[in-house]
Amino acid sequence: MAEATSHVQQTSKQRQELSLPARAQRRLSRQGVAYLFLLPGFLIFGLFVIYPMLYSLRISFYDWNVIDAARSTFVGLDNYRTFVNDPIFQRAVLNTVSYAAITVPAQIVFALVAAILLDQPLRGRTFFRVAYYLPVITSWVIVTLIFEFLFNSQAGFINYLLRDVLRLVDARVRWLADPILVMVPINLLGIWKGVGWSMVILLAALQAIPDEFMEAAAVDGATPWQRLRHVVLPLLRPTLVFLLVVLVIGGLNVYISGLLLTDGGQPQGRSHFILTLMYAETFDRLNFGGGAAISYFLTALVFVVSVVQLRLLRRRVEY
Amino acid sequence: MIKNRWLTGFGLLLALLLLMALAACGGQPPADEVEQPTEEPAVEEPVDEEPVDEEPVDEEPEAEAATVTYWHTMSDAEVEALDQVIAMFQEAHPNITVETTRFAYDDFKSALLTGLAGDEGPDTARLDIIWVPEFAELGALVALDEAMPNFQSIADNTFPGPLATNFWQGSYYGLPQDTNTQVLLWNGEVFGEAGVEAPPATLEEMQQVACDLSEGEEQYGYALGGTYFWAPAPVFYSMGGQVVDEAITTADGYINGPDSVAAFEMLAEMYEQGCISPNLLGGGIGTSDGHATGLYAMITDGPWMVDIYANDYPDFDVQFAPVPAGPGGSTSSVVGGQDVVLFEGAENQEAALAWIEFLMSEEAQVTMAQSGVIPTLRTVRESADLPDYFGVFLEQLETAQARVPHPAWGDMDTAINNAFQRMLAGEQTAQEALDQAAEEINALLQ
Repeated sequence: MAEATSHVQQTSKQRQELSLPARAQRRLSRQGVAYLFLLPGFLIFGLFVIYPMLYSLRISFYDWNVIDAARSTFVGLDNYRTFVNDPIFQRAVLNTVSYAAITVPAQIVFALVAAILLDQPLRGRTFFRVAYYLPVITSWVIVTLIFEFLFNSQAGFINYLLRDVLRLVDARVRWLADPILVMVPINLLGIWKGVGWSMVILLAALQAIPDEFMEAAAVDGATPWQRLRHVVLPLLRPTLVFLLVVLVIGGLNVYISGLLLTDGGQPQGRSHFILTLMYAETFDRLNFGGGAAISYFLTALVFVVSVVQLRLLRRRVEY
Repeated sequence: MIKNRWLTGFGLLLALLLLMALAACGGQPPADEVEQPTEEPAVEEPVDEEPVDEEPVDEEPEAEAATVTYWHTMSDAEVEALDQVIAMFQEAHPNITVETTRFAYDDFKSALLTGLAGDEGPDTARLDIIWVPEFAELGALVALDEAMPNFQSIADNTFPGPLATNFWQGSYYGLPQDTNTQVLLWNGEVFGEAGVEAPPATLEEMQQVACDLSEGEEQYGYALGGTYFWAPAPVFYSMGGQVVDEAITTADGYINGPDSVAAFEMLAEMYEQGCISPNLLGGGIGTSDGHATGLYAMITDGPWMVDIYANDYPDFDVQFAPVPAGPGGSTSSVVGGQDVVLFEGAENQEAALAWIEFLMSEEAQVTMAQSGVIPTLRTVRESADLPDYFGVFLEQLETAQARVPHPAWGDMDTAINNAFQRMLAGEQTAQEALDQAAEEINALLQ
């Protein structure tokens, strides 16, 4: 301890004598420590994110041989060109974009309604909060299999309900055999599983709105609808923008539910999503270059969509 | 400054720890690394002698400890039999440990590829016969006819059909570990109730019986597991269908030839008339469940169904019959099965070859047969210890045909699958759909 104190004295003495370049040096060493702390995280990030990303960019320009990379042949942009003109890829992009366009607004609307209701002093509020959040923490694979049972064309509950109970249809609907009908369970699943997460985020944002604002609006004679429209929604805007961006990225990355419910793009590859097609190209057809090219298409799509959203929607809101 | 130093030290320590952790992840367990190099020179000799010498040289104490990894996709019953086989192997080769890893069939290819790409693949594996040319083409497999001194004597004792599935561009890249085929399964109870005494003998009869036994959405005469080629293959080959010519140069006049078209026309017509269950398009009741519960009067499937039904439907009495004969008067079906292969990256090739040789031995084949796996050795086929129900499958194997042994078979399968889907959806006639498939397959053959 004594040694340490003397050291402090020494350094404070030195500090007085510091010339300008020494000060710069000192600043650098202080920052150096910060960089040192960043190093472990950056090493992991570099090794497991940056390096594979660049490596797969390289793969996307080759007819890649995964066992023996030396036997790969350079094909330039051929992999990209092939997919741009491929009707299965175009269909996969359409399926993916429409999945995001359907599930994201639906998730936000349902989550907002649930969050506003569960922000009220209701009996059993905690129960409902947990109940709405449960789908979020269940495994994608398990809930997808449950939906597969529900929508089974021959023994599923949904068809039983439609045909035998409600008598809305004469014959059983072949939900999972049709490239358009199969989108119904996939989109429903995406909405059902995602609502709870958005709800929790919105609930937190709602609770951050000071009570005085609501009271003041009430005193001014604002109806509950007017309070929602003119007080709550504007204040939730940053949260809603955040949700929109994050959910759209998630929606464009739809994978497990599509893979399991469509049996890998059946029929005829028309029910593929971008990621299920990427997997099929890579691991079923061993077309690693093509798979890498597809993943770069997806990256570009996500990047462009996110930048556009943030540009258009970001506006500062202060309480 | 003190604070800064502490921080620096702490940061450095963290970075060091991280690097060490990363290094440890990539390396092998140190114990193996130390032992192997020191003992290697002393051991190599006896192992080398092994194929030449008929005596069990391996029992000599100085044999080096070796590990052979073996990946497979076996069923529960097969794993039990495999454990016995491994115990027998280790009795004969106490120095070799066999480490097995089991995969789900659907995940197997991607697991193998990622393993091989990262140099963490297995030494040996049991591969679906249709994958062998594909992996050979990738350069992942060792040509066994070059690496294995007694390859020829083992190969001579196997049946030519299964053996041929290992052949790609002048070399044999594996040995046929087991074989199988599909036969007709008919539900005796459903047949009895309808007053039908026997399973259909011809495809014409089969269509008739299937439609007689169909009843709206409540019962179907026939069901297929999907639209991938394996599912319609028994009817396809029995009708006389062919995918490509024998030399694998063209599909024109084969996949879209009259017999192939007739086979798919029959299936599409049966589907249209409601005599084939819509489950083949996905999202319905699976063929095995539907067959055992009487929903599907007939299905086509393999010998493993005996074990599956024994577990899932112990009261169900499964009935087998040969695939109904086509207009030419002869029955046929599709050959399935698995080949045992050796990978390029195998650490101890001698030990791995000893394991492969043992899997191809009579005792191993007889043991595996008890779990429903059909042996590939001529000398074993004649033995009396095989399960009774093998009879119909062995008979069917006489005429069953192999799918195209080509690295692009997966894409050919997709072409035929899509053609079948277009017929079922009513988008094209069988002829139109198969003409398109022929074009697509020809493009793959160039």
